[in-house]
This record gives sequence, structure tokens and C-alpha cells, in this order.
Amino acid sequence: MIELIQQIIDGLGRGGIYALLALGIAVIFGVMHLINFAHGELITVSAYTSYWLFASGFNWWFIAPAIIVVAVLTAVIIEFVAFRWVRGAPDFTMLMTSFGVHFLVQALFVMYVSANFRQFPRPGWIFDTWRIGDLSLEVFDLAVIAATLVTLLGTYWLLQRTMFGVSLRAAAEDFDTARLMGIRSNRVIRGAFILSGVLAGVAAIFWLMRSGQAGPTAGLNPMLKGVLAALIGGLGSLSGAVLGGITLGLVEVLLISRLPGGTAGLTDGIVFLLIALLFVFRPQGLITVRRVERV
Amino acid sequence: MKQTARIISFSASVLMLMLGTAHAGSFDIDAALAANLKACKAAPTGTPLKIGYAADFSDLGGFADKPASEAGIYFVELVNCAGGVNGSPIEFTVKNIEGDPEVTQRAGQELVDAGVSAILGPPFPDFGEPLLQVTAGKVATLFVASTEPTLADASAMSFLVAFDDTAQATAAAKFALDQGWKTAVTFSAPGPYFGYNPVIFTKVFEAGGGKVTSDYAFVPIDDMDFSAQANAMASAGSAPDVVYSAMLSFQSAVLRGQLDGAGVETNYLVTDAFEATGGYFTKGVEGFYHTTHSFPAEGSRVKALADGYAAARGAPLENASFGGLAVDAIAVIIQAYLTTGSMDPAVLGTAIGGLDGVIGATGTLSYSGSNGSPSKPVYVHRVVNGAPTLAATYD
Repeated sequence: MIELIQQIIDGLGRGGIYALLALGIAVIFGVMHLINFAHGELITVSAYTSYWLFASGFNWWFIAPAIIVVAVLTAVIIEFVAFRWVRGAPDFTMLMTSFGVHFLVQALFVMYVSANFRQFPRPGWIFDTWRIGDLSLEVFDLAVIAATLVTLLGTYWLLQRTMFGVSLRAAAEDFDTARLMGIRSNRVIRGAFILSGVLAGVAAIFWLMRSGQAGPTAGLNPMLKGVLAALIGGLGSLSGAVLGGITLGLVEVLLISRLPGGTAGLTDGIVFLLIALLFVFRPQGLITVRRVERV
Repeated sequence: MKQTARIISFSASVLMLMLGTAHAGSFDIDAALAANLKACKAAPTGTPLKIGYAADFSDLGGFADKPASEAGIYFVELVNCAGGVNGSPIEFTVKNIEGDPEVTQRAGQELVDAGVSAILGPPFPDFGEPLLQVTAGKVATLFVASTEPTLADASAMSFLVAFDDTAQATAAAKFALDQGWKTAVTFSAPGPYFGYNPVIFTKVFEAGGGKVTSDYAFVPIDDMDFSAQANAMASAGSAPDVVYSAMLSFQSAVLRGQLDGAGVETNYLVTDAFEATGGYFTKGVEGFYHTTHSFPAEGSRVKALADGYAAARGAPLENASFGGLAVDAIAVIIQAYLTTGSMDPAVLGTAIGGLDGVIGATGTLSYSGSNGSPSKPVYVHRVVNGAPTLAATYD
């Protein structure tokens, strides 16, 4: 029993980061119907920024907020340079554009920085553990879980209680009608990308604190996990994104811990199989989001 | 008719080898490394010895091929500056394969069409195999940074320049046994390198009286959370004497942090991927042991290469070991040319398979009697105060 509780705690810690990543993807999907495969590039750029700031003598107290600023700026630039020009295009075009941005950013870092990994220090407390009986609680996991809850509540407040949130929800419901009602599309979409950048920035802080490395593909794995979590939860749903992230983290940890020796390498394969099964029975994901087709 | 042509071609190769051997000289790598680029000898005017490099500058192989190609270009400049090889300059052409099998084949074909005598190849078999399809056993291919045993095939003129994973994992297991470590836990992922090294380690370690108590799975490059494995190890009771894996440096640092947090105190022994991925710039790896290709001791050739490069280029070589391996590859090709006196790719390829005692930057390489994997030393480093110290060498 203790073993299972320990695995659930480990899964919540792992899933917390996935949830943060999925939130940013869910926000963009809600407004633009776009699965943004360039979301990981916010983390890649943040990773290199962290490396350069560390090399310049800054510490995590400065770098953590800087990561959020950089992620937001990157998101706004990507929106302005890439997505604004294909806004009225079919979803598939926007999807391809997001792939294009993903590969372009990756190639730029390979060409003009290095294909090699750059290391920077992790915070001193990152592996601190509290022992409660037979249970190990990683301080990092607790911080991630707390940050996920705060971020989710903050996002809900923003969407429910502010004019920006009302505009964003209206645009998500029916973009063209929202425009006719006087909502400025550029402002709403830029706002969605800023929000997505903040969420990616918070996720990036934790992801980079643990990985301590920058590389051209630093954002690839987090992006994939975020997309998977968002899909599991139900694309476009913020609470679904969190639920999807937590579910993905729990399933991964349980598989790693419980698959017999020599077969734990099948974890990722089994996760995809389970997701496929989920979609057979619930194609909309764990949480149903009302489908809205743009006119 | 084809049979007759083959016999004539083979006889000609053997004859040229015999003739070449009679006049063979040894390549003086030290003279080349000592050359002063600001005061070169008269430019060599003979027919150039053409060497190609199908290098992977993508995020997959760039960590190895970028520093290796930079060192290769620098070393060729030094050789030419020192008067070339028997009056012939070396012409070194680098083509980027972009981490793509099709581009690899195109680049390989362009190099073959350009008349290169030998080709240096990328680190991973995903691109090495397509390259070998192009060279088709007719042009010697030397894989600079690869440790993949399946790429070594002397009959296809395919050679490794580094030691292979069998040698690397065997040396690691011997080192573990020499430390008196009796129990080990491995971390592996299915497939070559991340899976193959732990398998060989387990085999040799257990044959020597050790016991691998568990093997945990991980996802190479991507996994950044080992809490599930760490807590499983902690709940198993006794900590192993050593944890062995082929993990990248930043992953192994996370693993160590989480094992420390879970109260599992042990030793860490990893592969050459540690250094390749910036191990010495990683926090939390103090005391780690890892196998690698060279030790940059004062007065060593690798140190001379790295220092000379930094002085000439105004920036350090990103990875001296991979740079050293590229120099090794070029030294092997030059030695084969000196041995045979021929620039014919087939003659050189046959000659490389029989070379013994070629002095390279990372050590002495011997191919005779092997199937394309050189016999050369495996170094075991220990991280002390964030810098490499030589813990052992296994020949």
C-alpha cells in the first residue's frame, strides 16, 4: 500500500509539469483551433536564455522570472511572424505552420549556437526530500503541484473575471461573431499567446530546473508530453489539460514501477496504446468540450 | 570475365601493398601537430590525397561531428603546412548529411564522384548504414565517433576509429571488478548503445563474480524524472556498489540527485556519452566514473591538438576527444597511403584492414586481426573537482 501511495505521489509530481505544459496548448487550441507544435520552442528559447544568463553570472532568483518574460516574448513573436499571416487559413495550414516554426527554431540553434548540449546549474534544493514514515516527498514535486494549482486558479480567474477573459472566451465560442461585437481579434489572439507564453514559462522554469540543460531539441519532449496531456484531457478544456497531465504522469510512473524487469522499456508504447483505447471509447478525451466550428 | 577481373584487381592490390610495404614510412603525427601555421613549408605540389567527411551537423550527430570536422580541417591544414604527405597535399571535403539518410547517400555519392580515397562517417548507424550502401565496399569508410560494433566490417572496408561498445562496456565491468564492487544496478533502454552497453557490462561483470541485482528502464535523452526507479531502489533495501548506464550527463545527474534524495548512496559508472554531452559542465556529477577515448594529460597529443586549435582559431575545440578521433582517422588514411603508395580507394581500404600500431592523437590503433574495430586503449576518468582525472586505462 505504501508503495502505491509513493507511486501516486511520484506520478502527481511528474504529471504536474505535464499539466502546466498542456494548459498553454489548451489555451491556444481554445481560441485558434490550433494544436501548437511550436509550443516547445518557448521552452527551447527559455533554456538557451537560462544558459546565457547563468554564464553571465545571474542566479535562479533572476532567471526564473526572466524565463517567463522570454517565453511570453517568444510566443508573441511567433504569433506575429508566423501565425498572423495564416489566421484565416484552414486548420491544417496552421498546423503545418506550427511544425515549420518548430523545425526552423531548432535549425537556427543548431546552425548558430551548437548541436551540443549546454549545461547550467540546478537550484540547490532540487533533489531535497522530506521523509514521512516510509514515504519520500520530493520538495520539487510539491512545488510543481502547488504551482500547477496556483496557475490553474489564476488562469480561471483571468478567464472568468476579467474583460480579457470574456473576450477570449467569446472568441473561442465564435470568433467572427465576437469580432462583429467589437472584440479586436489581434488583441485577443495576441492575449492568448501571451497567456500561453506565461503558462509555458512557468512550466519551463520547473522543466529547466530539473534538466539543467539547453539544446536545440530541449522543447521537443515537453511539447509532446503537453500535447498528449491536452489530448487525453480533451482539447480546449483547461481543467481537462490538468486532468490529462496528471493522468499521463500517473500512468507513466505506474508502468515504470510495475512492469516486470526488462519490459519497462515498453512504457511509452503502452502509454500510446492506452491513449488509443481511450479515444475508442471517448474520442473527445476525458472532459467533453462543446465543439465550436468557426464560420 | 567478372571473376578474372576480380582476380586481377585483387592481385594488383596485393602487389601494390607488397611494393608499398617495401617502401613504407611511418606518418609523423607529432611533426604535423607541431607545425606552425604562420611559418609553413613550401606548399606540396603532388597529386592531392582526397579525403571526404560525411558529417552530421544536425542535433543528432552534431555534438560529435561538429568538433570532429573542425579538428579535421585544422589537422589537414597542419599536415599541408608541414609539407603534405610525400609531397602531396591533403584535400579535405566536409559535406553535411543533416541527420537524414537520403542526404547522407547524396553526400556520400558526391564524395565518391569527387574521387575521394576514403570517407569519414557519422556517429550513428542510422546514417552510417546508408553511407555504406553508397561506398559499397569500394571506398574505405572510417566512422569517427561511432562505437557501434555493427558498423565495423573490414570486408566492406568499414572501420571504426573509436573503440566499440563491446570494448567500452568490458573495460567498465573490469574496472568495477577491480574496485572490489560486488553488486551493480543497470539502467538501460532497448536497442544499441543504451541497451547494448549494459548487456555487455552485465555479462562481463557477472562472469567476473559480480552480480547485477536489477535493470531499470529509462528513456534516453528525454527522461528527467527517475523518482519511480529511485524509490524502487530505496525500498529494495541495500544499495548496490555501483550504478552503470549509458545515460547522457544531464540525465545521470538527475538520477544521482534523486537516488541521493531517496537515501541510496552508491558509485556511478557511465559511458563516453557522459563526456560527449558536456559531463564536465554538469553539476552533481562529482565522483562519477566514465569510459572515454582520451585523457588530455600534459604533453599528450590530444592536449597538443586542443591547445594548438585554440591558439590558431581563437576559440577552444568544443570536444577534444572527438577532435582527437577525427585526427586518428586522418592519420590512419595517411598511414595506409604511405604503406601502399596508392591513392586508390580499394587499395587503401584493403591496407587499413592490415594496419598495426598507427599513432593517432588518442592512442595507438591496430586493425590487423580485427573485423574493423581498432584495438586501442579505453580510458576511465573520474570527475574530481569538476575536472577529469585518469582512474585507469584498459588496452
